[in-house]
Amino acid sequence: MSKSTILAGEGLSKKYGTLEVVKGVSISVDAGEFVCLVGKSGCGKTTLLSLLSGLERPTKGDVVLNGKKINGSSEDELALFRRQNVGFIFQSFNLIPTLSAWENVALPLFPVKMTGEERKRRATELLTQMELGHRMDHLPSALSGGEKQRVAIARALINKPKIIFADEPTGNLDSATGDAIMDILNRLHKKEGVAILMVTHEVELAKTAERLIRMHDGEVIS
Amino acid sequence: MNVGYLFRELYYQKRRTLTAILGLSIGIALLIILNALSMAYRQAAHAPLQAIGADISVQRPGDVPKDLAGAVFPCSAVTISQAEVEKIKGLPGIRGMGEAVLLWVFDPNRAWIVLGIEQQNSVGPAILRSAVTEGRFFQEGTSEALVEAAYARQFGINMGDIISVADRKFTVVGAVDASRAAKIAVANVYVSLGDAQNLALSSKQLQSVSPFKPGDVNLLFIKADQEKITPLAASLKGILGKKATVATPDSFLKLLGSLFALSDKFTLAASLIAIIVAILIAFKTMAGNIAERAREIGVLKAVGWTNRNVVTQLLMESVVQCFLAGILGLLIALVVAFGLSFMKISIPIPWDMAPTPHFLPGGGDQIFKTLRLPIHVPWTLALFSFVLSVVIGGMTGALLGRQIAKIKPSEVLRHE
Repeated sequence: MSKSTILAGEGLSKKYGTLEVVKGVSISVDAGEFVCLVGKSGCGKTTLLSLLSGLERPTKGDVVLNGKKINGSSEDELALFRRQNVGFIFQSFNLIPTLSAWENVALPLFPVKMTGEERKRRATELLTQMELGHRMDHLPSALSGGEKQRVAIARALINKPKIIFADEPTGNLDSATGDAIMDILNRLHKKEGVAILMVTHEVELAKTAERLIRMHDGEVIS
Repeated sequence: MNVGYLFRELYYQKRRTLTAILGLSIGIALLIILNALSMAYRQAAHAPLQAIGADISVQRPGDVPKDLAGAVFPCSAVTISQAEVEKIKGLPGIRGMGEAVLLWVFDPNRAWIVLGIEQQNSVGPAILRSAVTEGRFFQEGTSEALVEAAYARQFGINMGDIISVADRKFTVVGAVDASRAAKIAVANVYVSLGDAQNLALSSKQLQSVSPFKPGDVNLLFIKADQEKITPLAASLKGILGKKATVATPDSFLKLLGSLFALSDKFTLAASLIAIIVAILIAFKTMAGNIAERAREIGVLKAVGWTNRNVVTQLLMESVVQCFLAGILGLLIALVVAFGLSFMKISIPIPWDMAPTPHFLPGGGDQIFKTLRLPIHVPWTLALFSFVLSVVIGGMTGALLGRQIAKIKPSEVLRHE
């Protein structure tokens, strides 16, 4: 593992009963690198992403994230670790329907001791970057798909993460909006130096990444 | 915990919030009303004797002479000896005792109900001193009498008239309005206890069936420590015999016949059901809430909320809902209690406590003590129910914490 490696998975396996979804995968992502994980539906990409991000525990193997081996940590330790080091972007946005755009962005900071004004200031800054300064107080139901995903990206950035895990971030968007979201992710990666590990089944989208990892039937094939 | 998030969730999920609050508030209101009703009936059961400052009345049934002439005892109230009275005075829990002698006097042209009462006593019919509407109260040893006001009007008896009762002359010095007194203390003529005892002592008819000595009486009224009324009733029967009529609030409660009056167990069972229903409603709503919000909980965990953070947030939502339900439940209970306070209840007075001979006109009619249901919600009951509501909220939230902890973000956040 090089000094610049932000994420490393070594010999990762995941079994659900007798079904082995991820089979002895080793993978690494360098700091500031944009990596795409591609493969057909059901090949184990999302499970691998969950293992690498600490959302799921591997049956075998180790995950080292930002220099810390995380697979031995408790649920709460993992949650705290995610809060401090990781951002998530999901296919279906996963915004809280009862919270406004800025509150959704500030959601990871709710359990952190800080003033409400500071939370709002940081959320406003990010939403403005996402060109959503005028939609701050809108509920998710009043936002378009692209706007929702931009709110989700702002939420992923609120804790200044070292790495963002994006699971099919354009999957629920039309191609034009999907392209716009990919532009934002590329810009973030280049401007902020954030590492991105993105899962997609669209090879065309994956070509914008710096490195492509192909998966098939739970294994990395290239 | 984030207060803004908490109230947004309650506000935007109106249906869920209102269902939880209404369901639980009805449970809480039921709990308060059931207990308030039970307390009201218990309080009402004190009313028949409370009017003469007593908690217990004591009589001993016996025989009436075959030939009804002169002064006799009613068959429901024969001699209680002075020795027995002294024994009773020594029983623990007695705070005061009033004595009286009730006589039926059959004169050739008139039948009187005569009650011999003490000069001064806050317990028993001596309390009628404050019910004199005309003239004055009698003095001891002067053969003076009071006449019941309605009776005096009916028979044209005036102040200063001399009436003859069992061949004894009494000067009428006052009129008494006994309509508000306990039915047991209603008579036509009131004389001093000593005069009534003398009437009894000199009646051969009376002595033939129920020997009566100086100092004896036939009615006792007892003021007692509330918690000792039941054991006292048993002790009184021990002294006077099992056939003695000992009227207590409990015996009136039984006569009331209401479910609330009949049994503490009913109130307890109904209250428990109300609480269980309230808990189930709170639990079901909260469980449904968690099931509906599994994805949201998954997001919270994914972005770095610990189990404790999530449980605290949902627990406080539950507590706030139950807090509001407690207030609403209390308000509903207060409104219902206000409505119920207009309800009148009639407590039947047993025939053996009625002073009128049953063979005289109207004597066989059932008599009642009628009063408005004395229902109110004591602050202790209100506070208990309110705290219970909040505790239910806390318990429900805490119990569901384990369910929350089981939610794995990776499972609930998998894209469709």
